[in-house]
Amino acid sequence: MTVKWNVGTKIGGGFSLAVVIFLIVGAVSHQSTTQLVAASELRRQAYEVLSELDDLLSLMQDIQIGQRGYALTGEESYLAPYQTALGNIDARVQGVRTLTRDNPRHQRRIDALERLIDDRLALARETVDVIRTKGPEAGAQIIRSGRGNNMMLELRKVVGEMESEEEALLRHRVESAQHLARNAQWTIVLGTLAALILAALAGVVITRNIARPLQDLTAVAERMTVGDLSVDVSSDTRSDEVGALARTFDRMTQSLRTMAGAAAQIADGDLRSTITPHSSNDVLGNAFARMAENLRGQIRELVEGANVLGSAASEIVASTTQLAASASESAAAVSETTTTVEEVRQAAQMASQKAKNVSDSAQKAAQISQSGRKSTEDVGAGMTRIRQQMDAIAASMGRLSEQSQTIGQIIATVEDLAAQSNLLAVNAAIEAAKAGEHGKGFGVVAQEVKSLAGQSRQATNEVRTLLSDIQKATTTAVLATEQGSKAVDAGARQTEVAGESIQALAGSVTEAAQAATQIAASSQQQLVGVDQVAAAMESIKQASTQNVASAQQLETAARNLNDLGQRLTQMVERYKI
Amino acid sequence: MTNDTNARHILRARAEALARPPENAPVASALFEVLEFRLAQERYAIETRHVREVYPLKDLTPLPCTPPFVLGIVNVRGRIVPVFDLKKLFDLPEQGLTDLHRIILIGGHDLELGLLADATVGVRSIPADSVQPSLPTLTGIRSEYLKGVTADRLVVLDVVRLLADPKIIVHEEVEN
Repeated sequence: MTVKWNVGTKIGGGFSLAVVIFLIVGAVSHQSTTQLVAASELRRQAYEVLSELDDLLSLMQDIQIGQRGYALTGEESYLAPYQTALGNIDARVQGVRTLTRDNPRHQRRIDALERLIDDRLALARETVDVIRTKGPEAGAQIIRSGRGNNMMLELRKVVGEMESEEEALLRHRVESAQHLARNAQWTIVLGTLAALILAALAGVVITRNIARPLQDLTAVAERMTVGDLSVDVSSDTRSDEVGALARTFDRMTQSLRTMAGAAAQIADGDLRSTITPHSSNDVLGNAFARMAENLRGQIRELVEGANVLGSAASEIVASTTQLAASASESAAAVSETTTTVEEVRQAAQMASQKAKNVSDSAQKAAQISQSGRKSTEDVGAGMTRIRQQMDAIAASMGRLSEQSQTIGQIIATVEDLAAQSNLLAVNAAIEAAKAGEHGKGFGVVAQEVKSLAGQSRQATNEVRTLLSDIQKATTTAVLATEQGSKAVDAGARQTEVAGESIQALAGSVTEAAQAATQIAASSQQQLVGVDQVAAAMESIKQASTQNVASAQQLETAARNLNDLGQRLTQMVERYKI
Repeated sequence: MTNDTNARHILRARAEALARPPENAPVASALFEVLEFRLAQERYAIETRHVREVYPLKDLTPLPCTPPFVLGIVNVRGRIVPVFDLKKLFDLPEQGLTDLHRIILIGGHDLELGLLADATVGVRSIPADSVQPSLPTLTGIRSEYLKGVTADRLVVLDVVRLLADPKIIVHEEVEN
């Protein structure tokens, strides 16, 4: 049934059927909705009429309440609801009339209602006037007459009729609206179902006629995409676009097969065949032809390049081998040098340490020599004091010697006195002897004087002996003092000499300390320099180690390059040009 | 310490000397007073009744043209007294003159002279019977002047004989 239609017609027919059904459903829905809107408007109008009627009644009650309140109290403030209701009542009546102008029965009732309202209002005005002019009691009389109440009862009756009729109308309208809504629901549900079924049917038919052959072709293209050209497209007799597509696919497959055969030849290294493109637009054919031509040229150049590369790689291998050997030798030499420099550095370090120790010792020696110089100065001062004391001793000894001589003179005098006393005693004794018996007593006295002179003489002799000893000792002491003084002088001179020597020594030691400090600083600098040399040698050692590694890598790379050259030569030899 | 010991020693010596009873307690009847003196380590004595006084040797004026035993003259309170040196007479060794020498002035009736003594010991009493006659060994001029010798070798001179000796009268004239 679908053989004669092409694909576009089929799809268009299916979609048109579905659109028509949706149009029908939409029209029905629109009509139903319009009717529903009208029904709801009527309902709203009925509710408004009921509301207006309620308002009217309430206004009338306000009038009554205001009038009665005024009658009871006589105060104007109670007339406020009355005045308000008077202002609004006509508007309400006109509102009700406007709303119910399509209903002649309501119009008639409103006419009656207007008359009633006018009467009631007239009565109310009268009552109020009476109250104002005659007092609350007269007003109350009018109210008690019951006219007002009757009028209100009638009014309520008319309003009640209108409300009951309006409510009946409202119930009728609600029922008709519900009916319409149910009809619209059914129309929409059934129409939509029919449209869905029709669209599904059309889809199934179209799918079966178009999608399946396209899926087959897609599967074929999928296999071609992954490189499988052995597929066979079933060329059926369909005259539509799908049939044309299948035939074109078949031709394309054959062309690709031809190209694949040529590519396989080239891949096997046979570049002798020439490829003729199917047309000037045959990009693949032209590209294959150019590729074969270019490959031929490139492979010729490649052969030459591979030969050059092979020979160059051989030379490079030889050179790199030599380089690696020399790098190893230089690395060994650098390693030995580094060890030597390390030894030198240790020696320099030791020398620096020793120099520092020497410097410290020299500093201590300088301090000690300084204190020694001070001590010699103290010794000099002490020697000076000793010399002064020796001088004082010598002076004392001189005085002692002089005084001992004076003592000797005194002793001589005493001796002389003793001798004279002795003489005197002898003479006295002689005189006593001459005196005979009378001089006996005097002789005794003379004897005593003589004895006393003898004792004096003996004592003087002893004193003289002592003095002689003292003088000898004094002389010895003077001599000793002189010798001591000389010794002190010699000591002072020697101390001076020693002080000068120690001062010279202190100067020398200070210079030596300075020199040792300079030596320590120099050896410290030397150590730093040797450290730097050691670090540099270490760096050189690392660099030479890296050089060796690099040379070995270079050698390996050169060998690889050589192998590559040989392989390249073998590879290009396979090509037949 | 030594001074104390010495002082104590001296004091003891003095005490012993004082406590000692006088030697040769003299018999009142036969005692005579003598002046003892020294001449060149020998002890001599002269009776005190002939001694006028003992005078220190000073202001000795040598007298020329006199025998060697005449030492010179001295001025004793205005009197000019000749001084004899007994050592010259007795051939005793000379020791030189010092101011320690004494002149013992002796006198008789009209003659006064001084005898040089090395030292005067003092006046003492000796018993007359203790004086023995001169030793026969002593000869010459010594024996002429000796009165006697005591037991303790004290030579007692006889001043009377000495003064009476005409040899001591110097009578010389210097011829021009």
